[in-house]
Amino acid sequence: MATHNKIKKLNAGRDYIADHFQGQLCLSDIAKSSYMSPYHFLRVFKEMYGETPNEFLVRLRIEQAKKMLITENLSVSEVCEQVGYASLGSFSSLFAKQVGMAPTSYRRKLWALSSEAYRFPAQAIPACYAYHFLGKLTK
Amino acid sequence: MITSIAHATVYVLNQDEALDFYKNKLGFEVGDDMKVEGDFRWLTVYPKSKPQLQLVLAEPKEGPMFSQDAAEKIRGLIAEGAFGAGVFETENCQKTYEELVAKGVAFIQPPTEQLYGIEAMALDNSGNWFSLVQR
Repeated sequence: MATHNKIKKLNAGRDYIADHFQGQLCLSDIAKSSYMSPYHFLRVFKEMYGETPNEFLVRLRIEQAKKMLITENLSVSEVCEQVGYASLGSFSSLFAKQVGMAPTSYRRKLWALSSEAYRFPAQAIPACYAYHFLGKLTK
Repeated sequence: MITSIAHATVYVLNQDEALDFYKNKLGFEVGDDMKVEGDFRWLTVYPKSKPQLQLVLAEPKEGPMFSQDAAEKIRGLIAEGAFGAGVFETENCQKTYEELVAKGVAFIQPPTEQLYGIEAMALDNSGNWFSLVQR
């Protein structure tokens, strides 16, 4: 198992990504926040968290994009920019790869399911919780 | 075959305060923080290295499953420390204990040798106790 200090350093790098994911990030800056070389940081990050720094970054950006698409009235281009992507094409294809549908389809589908504007539908959370807290049997 | 546990519920008194505790004191990451129809907030957190198991931080409120009376009783029990949030693992119980004490986390028991490892016991800011175990 990694030592306490090593985990603290890695967590600092991970927090750096989480704190700056909406902007442009470069590996050397992230690694610097962990006091490691970029190569070493890449290797131990994957060992520790089971995903590469880039996979973590993409996950954060896509999760934030999903939230913004549903709860805010922004265009897909605006969402793309606000989660840190310069290219709408790259964002849309990454989104489709991660979520299984294009950003506009995702928004259209979830908005149609929700009974309230700018709220996720009950179907977006596990059915046992939807039933428990909302009294809804979802399908 | 069941292969893992994905979500477990921790009832808390206030989601904002619980989020501050689990994120800023324990160092957890936010999984989901979603506004759901029906004025429900779906809030989950997880330890940085284990996103596969998320804790759902939920407030017991009057609704489909709880009457107002039941929700109030549960809130009272949480505050009394009747519920546990479970066992969190650490690679160094003593160091983690010292860091959490410095952050103001209340401990019931300092790191102590047990049959299964070194364990400390603490409370979250709702009153849920949890163990910190080094195996």
